[in-house]
This record gives sequence, structure tokens and C-alpha cells, in this order.
Amino acid sequence: MPKQVIFHIDVNSAYLSWEAAYRLQHGAKIDLRNVPSAVGGDSATRHGIILAKSIPAKKFKIKTGETLFSARQKCPTMIIVPPNYELYMKCSNALLKLLKEYSPKIQRFSVDECFMDMTKMDKFWGPPLKVAYEIKERIKKELGFTVSIGISTCKLLAKMASELKKPDGVTTLFLEEIEEKMWPLPVEDLFMVGPATTKKLHSYGIHTIGALAQTDPRFLQNRLKSHGLLIWNYANGRENSPVRENVAFEIKGIGNSTTIAFDIDNLKEAKMVLLSLVETIGGRLRKGGWAARLIAVTFKTSDFRVISHQRKFSTPVDCTNIIYQRVEELFSECWNGEHLRHLGVKVGELCTNDFTQLSLFNWNQERLRKLDKTVDRIRKKYGAKALIRSSFLHSGISPLSGGIIEDYPLMSSIL
Amino acid sequence: MKVLMHPIEIIAWFTCEGVPRPLRFKILYNNRATVIKVDKVIFKTEEKIAGNKMLIFRCQSVIDGRLRDFELKYEYSTCRWFLYKM
Repeated sequence: MPKQVIFHIDVNSAYLSWEAAYRLQHGAKIDLRNVPSAVGGDSATRHGIILAKSIPAKKFKIKTGETLFSARQKCPTMIIVPPNYELYMKCSNALLKLLKEYSPKIQRFSVDECFMDMTKMDKFWGPPLKVAYEIKERIKKELGFTVSIGISTCKLLAKMASELKKPDGVTTLFLEEIEEKMWPLPVEDLFMVGPATTKKLHSYGIHTIGALAQTDPRFLQNRLKSHGLLIWNYANGRENSPVRENVAFEIKGIGNSTTIAFDIDNLKEAKMVLLSLVETIGGRLRKGGWAARLIAVTFKTSDFRVISHQRKFSTPVDCTNIIYQRVEELFSECWNGEHLRHLGVKVGELCTNDFTQLSLFNWNQERLRKLDKTVDRIRKKYGAKALIRSSFLHSGISPLSGGIIEDYPLMSSIL
Repeated sequence: MKVLMHPIEIIAWFTCEGVPRPLRFKILYNNRATVIKVDKVIFKTEEKIAGNKMLIFRCQSVIDGRLRDFELKYEYSTCRWFLYKM
């Protein structure tokens, strides 16, 4: 079998560079990438965290995920711009369109990352390194932002390679180069090694990717189960998943959550927020043709404690009203009147909703399903907020909450 | 030429293929609204910075008795025109 050639294309500080490029196109005098700046939520509605930052902002030790308040304390002159997910989709689509000129096999791994199968493409475009530079320069010139490209024989190494030289770089990381380029890196830089695993690995005296690669796999499997073996293989550059053109993973659950602009201290408002979350979940469930058995409620109190409660019910449902009844039941069992800043609802154990077990106790389920179907059709035709529950009128609470724009590609842990 | 990026009112005609050509536009010049006739389109380019398609027209007109170059931008997604540079 011929050697595979895989490219991993990663947009540098994606949200920020896209915003900067867009602003420059609209006549902005300064380039956000050259000054301390960040993309962040709205602190007035308490969605106030840093989503992406510029390289000059990094000098002030500003980290992704920290609050706007603490970021402003570190750098008072910092420019903070709100996120614009529609722009990000547009940029991502433009990037994909450009890449499609070079290879038909492209996997969009997230909104700002793509894998490209360039196996045997040297016949058309010349050596991989040359074409990678060409792609990088074209993106910079035509789309106005910079990318890092990693080249290797598998997706994992290509992804690791693109991390090596940022911004605006092209790096190779073939199997024979891992000892020199990847093994000296700290173990937490390896894909799939998160904070919890890092802590465990450090306690075993494993601090670099090289040390992980040379550890006995049986030891890792014993301690970390199958995940131990997976990261050992990754540390040795062993990974062989194909570049998937249509990434459609099996959905295991659907969840929605929202941070509220004010602390909730009464049951009525808490229930309304839960209902607004269930409205969107119900719609998403029925759109996918699912019904769910497992229902979970999560909330975060004003002192940042997280409490969740779930239960498996005897019959799967897809009706907004019945899901809400169950959510209400779960919530009243676990809430003791604490002040709430964040609420979430999740459903799981999905099955198709064409033939569902009827329950003796939900005697009006069929009628409710007809009602939901009509509501969904009206919302599809006239917009999500064309039909809302009157209890939300003048309440200041959004009748539908949670979720992001449709088809927004999020990153997955599956390569 | 200086970057201005002022939104403008404009009269343009579109070909059957949907390509516009600017004819005249209105701007505030020396504190009064002035209509400028586009005498000549020197060249036209397309840009897609940040995935946002725009047409750029380098034009020439006589303004206040002087021959001046300027650039107009047309944004596909919003159908808006801008005086980009002058």
C-alpha cells in the first residue's frame, strides 16, 4: 500500500483573525491581530469569557476561557469584540472551498480545522511541501488570514505537526521525525491527553511524550484502561483512521444549557428557563426523529457549585410537554432554593420515534405529538419565535434558549 | 488614495449575468451633498477576504475640475456600496 500523505490545516487564532480580516475589509484602521485584543462574550449578560485572543494579548498572560473582567485587569487597553458565528461559518466555508481545489477528500474537523488526503496528489501538484506552501500563501492572500499546515502520513501526526510552528507555518512530522520533534514536548500537548490524564501521568513520572511512548503499554492499560493504550499508540505515532468526508457520528444525546443574565432565586423563573431549554431540545429531538428515555437536569449555583440529577424513565418520549414534566420533577428533587446562574437539560438513550411504547399514564400523548408536529411546522416556516408560549410574554426570559446556529461544526475527540 | 469606506447612495446597472457597473453616486463633499458621475471604470477586481465576497471598481471622474481616481466596493451579501478609497 502506498504511503498516505495527510495535511492538517489549522487557522491561527481563528475567531480573532476572521474578525480582524473582516474589519480590515470594511476599512478598519487597525489590525486586531497586531494589538492586544480578544473575542469575548457580553459581560452584561454574563457570557463574559475570552474565546480567542491575539498574539500581543498573550504577552499579558491572557488565557482562553478566563473572564473578561480579569482580562481587563491584566490589560485595561485591550479591545474586546463580540463573537459572530455566522462570519465564522462563512470563513470556514470559504476555506473549505479553496482546499477542495486541491483534493476531493477533505474532513472538516471543526470550524477552523481540516484534514486533507493528499495521497498520490504529487502527480498534479508536485511535492507535498511545495503545495502546502502554495495553499498557505493563497489563503493568506485571498482570504486574508493565516494558517498552520502539518504534513504527515496519518491524521494524528499531521495534527501534531501543525501545532509545532504557529502562526503561518508549514511543518512535517513523519514517523522517522517523531523522536526529534514530538517526543521532547510535554505530555499534555499530545492529542487526547487532557488535564485529568496529565495529572495521572505526572504522578507516574511521565512528563514528556517520549517518556509516554517508552512506557510499557501493559502498565498504561492496567492503570488507564483502553485510553492508556490509545495514548501510548498516539505517542508512538500509530493512528490509521481515514479522512472522513461526511462526518456523521451516532448521536448519543442532546443537551442544551444557558447562563442567565441574573441570578434566579425563585421556582417560577427557574421553571421558565427549563421550559425554554426543553422547547429547543424537543424541537431538535423531533427533527432528528428521536425519542429519549434518559433525562438529566444540571444547574450551577451562584457560588459555582455544579449539581446534576438524572433518571431513566420507563418510556421514551419526544413531546415537549412530557419532557418538561419529567425535567420539572427532577429539578424539584435536587434544588434547595440556591441562587442559580446556569441551567441545563440533557436527554439520552435515544431510539427512533416512529414506533414508541405508549404509556398507560400519558393518555394524551398522541394528541400532544400532533400538537408538537404542528408547532414544529409553523416554526420551520415562519421562524423559531413565530409561536411562543404566552407565559414568556413580558417575562424577560427567552422563550427558546440554548443551542448554537444550525450545522455549526464543533470539534470532536474522534479523529 | 486614503481608505474611507463610506456607505453611499448609488445608481448602477446590472448585466444579465448579474455584474454591476456603477453610474453615479452621492457623497457629502465639502459639507454638501454632491452627485459624482463615474466617467470611467479602469478595472474591476473581486476579493473574498474572510469569505465575504466584494467587487472593487477602480474608477475615474472629474471632481471640482480635477481628474481623480477612486475605488468603489460592492458587497454581495448585503447589496451595499461603499466609497472605499479616494
